Amino acid sequence: MDRAALADWLAAAAGQPVEIIGMALMSGGAIQQNWRLDAVVRGVTQAWVLRKDAPAKLSHSRSRAEEFALLQVAFAAGVTVPEPLYVCSDAAVLGTPFFVMRRVEGIAAAHRVVRGETLGGGREALVAALGRELAAIHAIRPGHENLDFMGEIDPNPCGRFVRDARKRLDSAQNPRPILEWGLRRLELTAPPPGDIVMCHNDFRTGNYMVTDRGLTGVLDWEFAAWGDRHEDFGWLCAPCWRFGGVGEAGGVGSRETLYGAYQQASGHAVDPAKVAWWEIAAAIRWAVIASDQAARHVSGTEPSLELALTGHIVPELELGVMRACA
Amino acid sequence: MSWDGTESPNGAELLEIARATLLDVIVPGLAGDARFKALMVANAIAIATRELRLGTVAIRAALQAIGTDARTLGTEIRAGAHDDDADLAARLLRLAEERCRISAPRSL
Repeated sequence: MDRAALADWLAAAAGQPVEIIGMALMSGGAIQQNWRLDAVVRGVTQAWVLRKDAPAKLSHSRSRAEEFALLQVAFAAGVTVPEPLYVCSDAAVLGTPFFVMRRVEGIAAAHRVVRGETLGGGREALVAALGRELAAIHAIRPGHENLDFMGEIDPNPCGRFVRDARKRLDSAQNPRPILEWGLRRLELTAPPPGDIVMCHNDFRTGNYMVTDRGLTGVLDWEFAAWGDRHEDFGWLCAPCWRFGGVGEAGGVGSRETLYGAYQQASGHAVDPAKVAWWEIAAAIRWAVIASDQAARHVSGTEPSLELALTGHIVPELELGVMRACA
Repeated sequence: MSWDGTESPNGAELLEIARATLLDVIVPGLAGDARFKALMVANAIAIATRELRLGTVAIRAALQAIGTDARTLGTEIRAGAHDDDADLAARLLRLAEERCRISAPRSL
């Protein structure tokens, strides 16, 4: 990465000289790269993160500029997110678009979060915090002037989910009769549509930061879209995102605490039957993504052990779908 | 048993001792991304070993048991032609179980 070009661009964006004193690629992120960035502005050391597209960008995810706009709206709405600072859509500076946000303390690693007794201020405290974050996210509603790029609103998120998943299955190499079975069951049992709200759409353990004091940041906004509030609960609570943890809410704690904190903060009750529908949808969605990721390895376009292993998650997800749909 | 001409240990046995060596000797000295990658290698070896030991006969049999070409079946399911077919659901569950025996036996 061109450090001098970045320093020049940051200085222009900040309106004052910026000295970069440290830069290192952080782990994780097959789709985006996160760079730890330390800079000095007017004698004050700044702890930042620079987020940019990885070479293998997923076409299904939002652009960095859109993710930056989402972070701004979420930050203003009181969601606990890293403060967004500067965005650069010009690929000429660093090769791909990027944005800079304030670095938040803590760890995100899911396997540690589900095993930590004190992380997040304790398990039930963390689950309650997750409920409050979802309430703040879902309070963002269509019509927001800075979110025009989010596109048309589908009044029927369940129907949209089934349609989108089938479209992706149709463009995949292997037939997936088990996922087809699950999608048909979902189609036949779809609950009636409810309010349309901002859904994070990747709200799961591993995508938020925690310290022993509490939750410090909700990350990875690249899949956010208008939808049903229960989509986020289904994704968070689905068995495939518990990482061996015992709590049904993200492998961390109880559903009761999660739903209770959400209702208290939002005034909306969580419907467990709708969450159950979206949990099956979550397994199917992850299976479709995993299958596409493995295909990138199998086709030879992007040889990767991680992508290759992701394919072997599909059978377990299919088993969960069949057990839930039997 | 008479000698079949191949050398021992066989492929699965080699992978098993390779994986044990990786986990017992190499991984404890690693940290961070290298450790994560080494654990992924161990996982890949485990899946390949199970495939060698179990073979794919059971998966193929379970696939045959659903009766029709998988892609055609998917189209039929989507069109609602099997909505009340509990027998098919049982066969699809069986297929998922057989696939898990290689990819994710702990989920069974």
